[in-house]
Amino acid sequence: MIEAVLAGAVRGGSSILFAALGETVSERAGVINLSTEGSMLCGALAAYATAVETGSAWLGVLAGAAAGMALAMLFAAVVVFRAANQLATGIVVLFLALGVTSLLGRDYVGQGVDGFTRWDVPGLSDIPFVGTVLFAHDPLTYLALLAAPLVWWLMFRTTPGLMVRAAGERPEVLVATGHSPNLVRLAAVAAGGLLAGIGGAQISTALALNWSENMIQGRGFVAVALVIFAAWNPMGALAGALFFGGIESLQLQLQAEGVSVPADLLNALPYLATIAVLVLFSRRRLHAAPDGLTSVFETSP
Amino acid sequence: MTAGPAARAAARMRPGTGLVRWLAAIGAGLAGFALFVAIAGGSPAAALQAIWSSTVVDAVGPGEVLVAAAPVILCALAVAIPAWAGLWNLGGEGQLVVGAIGATVVSQALPSSLGSWAALPLLLAGGAIGGALWCAIPAVLRVTVNLNEAISSLLLSYVALRLLDYLVNGPWKDPRSLGFPQAEPLPDGHRLGGLDWLPVAGGGRLHTGLLIALAAVAAAVVAHRHTTWGFRLRVVGGNGEAARRGGLPVKRLIVGAMVAGGALAGVAGMVQLSGVEFQAKGGIAGAYGFLGFLVSWLVRHDPRWIVLAGIAIGAVRVGGDALQIDANLPAASVNVLLALLLLAILARGRGRRRSA
Repeated sequence: MIEAVLAGAVRGGSSILFAALGETVSERAGVINLSTEGSMLCGALAAYATAVETGSAWLGVLAGAAAGMALAMLFAAVVVFRAANQLATGIVVLFLALGVTSLLGRDYVGQGVDGFTRWDVPGLSDIPFVGTVLFAHDPLTYLALLAAPLVWWLMFRTTPGLMVRAAGERPEVLVATGHSPNLVRLAAVAAGGLLAGIGGAQISTALALNWSENMIQGRGFVAVALVIFAAWNPMGALAGALFFGGIESLQLQLQAEGVSVPADLLNALPYLATIAVLVLFSRRRLHAAPDGLTSVFETSP
Repeated sequence: MTAGPAARAAARMRPGTGLVRWLAAIGAGLAGFALFVAIAGGSPAAALQAIWSSTVVDAVGPGEVLVAAAPVILCALAVAIPAWAGLWNLGGEGQLVVGAIGATVVSQALPSSLGSWAALPLLLAGGAIGGALWCAIPAVLRVTVNLNEAISSLLLSYVALRLLDYLVNGPWKDPRSLGFPQAEPLPDGHRLGGLDWLPVAGGGRLHTGLLIALAAVAAAVVAHRHTTWGFRLRVVGGNGEAARRGGLPVKRLIVGAMVAGGALAGVAGMVQLSGVEFQAKGGIAGAYGFLGFLVSWLVRHDPRWIVLAGIAIGAVRVGGDALQIDANLPAASVNVLLALLLLAILARGRGRRRSA
């Protein structure tokens, strides 16, 4: 059972991981995008519809990434260039995503799809225990696990990453070196939406293998919360996403084993667990927040 | 912004510019919505017709709009009061649900023979307490471990929705509901009275929940500008550090504002339970929590304008239901119209402040 729970943690956590990595990039640039949830929804539908129409799940992922990015760029245009409130705009753009996906997705509800299937890593998947946990998943799961160190490297070891961090901490440095902080923020939010879109694509074409209205069910919000837990570090996001995936997977295993706790209450467990880890870790995390984020939570007009 | 302050002020003073921009925003929203409906294979004309007739033309239309406006207004106040103190309550959805749960608990505990004059205030209290307790969690986490209340209240909404799912699928499930996950219907004495004597009701299902919402708005207007409490909340919201050094009990004020907001969202849950649904069931939240958030932010948390904005958003809500019934489109598709209108308003730069 432990093996099954851990394998489920890796598989289920990876879709959240895409979104959490994307939100990390976005928040490092000083923009909180609550519409990560919306980007996941758009990614899920675009990927599903494309996979159904073309028969190619990989084309679906491309479409999902593009859809997630398009929504995030709309959000960024309003927030960065019109200086509108980030939280409110995030909710508005999420409503747009809810509406558009329910409208355009109505014909796909209940339709089958040839989605991603398990691809065992040759050789490695035969290792007892570790093989099942790490090397027997759909291709997008491996992509997510590789994306975490890649995003870390991009953020902390390359010039574009430095520019993104400067946009969130010291925008005047960017101005002094002849760059536009707003353009950097736009690019960071767009990249965040792209990753969230892939996460949504994974949910519809690799995990659930169906499409239903509002199917993301708050996972995008969880991703935003995990970024705080991760202290805005991509490798921390990896840990957080595996934790959320683990609780989700444990909950499903308990249901399968016929534990007497009702399924609806177990379904609440991942959200409660996310709040719990935030409580445990929040005190020492806050100082890690990019400077640009502090003003986001001002409510006074 | 490229235009200087002087140029902006001049633009503002030019007569008619504001009106033209508003009309352009509404036109752009409607055009975008029509486009999406057309892409989805629906008829834009039929969709707009359904929204128009369900909210304005039909005899019950205006009454239905007010029925939907009541929970929106209450949930907007639930966002506004914490916002005075600089807090973001994004969990109205969950607080509404727990309010409905609280009211149901009270209803089940009371003898059904009890008169409505005694039962309804108790149900109202049950709803308020439920919402207040649910909102107290993010408030306490904020003042003790400094956990951001926007994120925690948002996540708690999903917990509340699962809790309601559990109750209506399990212990509260009505054996006569033919398998539908819903609790037993409330006895007649636990239902809010109708306002069908009002001409605007059009003989529809308008109920006294609207009066509860209006009373709450009146109380909030007074509290906002004419009480020490409201003033202190605004001081905390303006500059928390200054308020603390000035000797204000900042933590107590923060928790108080959140609890008051949560109580009002809980009242919205009671109003939906006793005035519209008449039984606890899954869909009771109906996105009213999020719509209330948008209303409060749209009017910059000023309770004087919440009624007007709440009615406008309520109309969008009713239009959405009409889309489903009359135009065979998902009810959620009206969110496209709502979001495009709000984005057009946002892009006008009304919420313009220093770049975050």
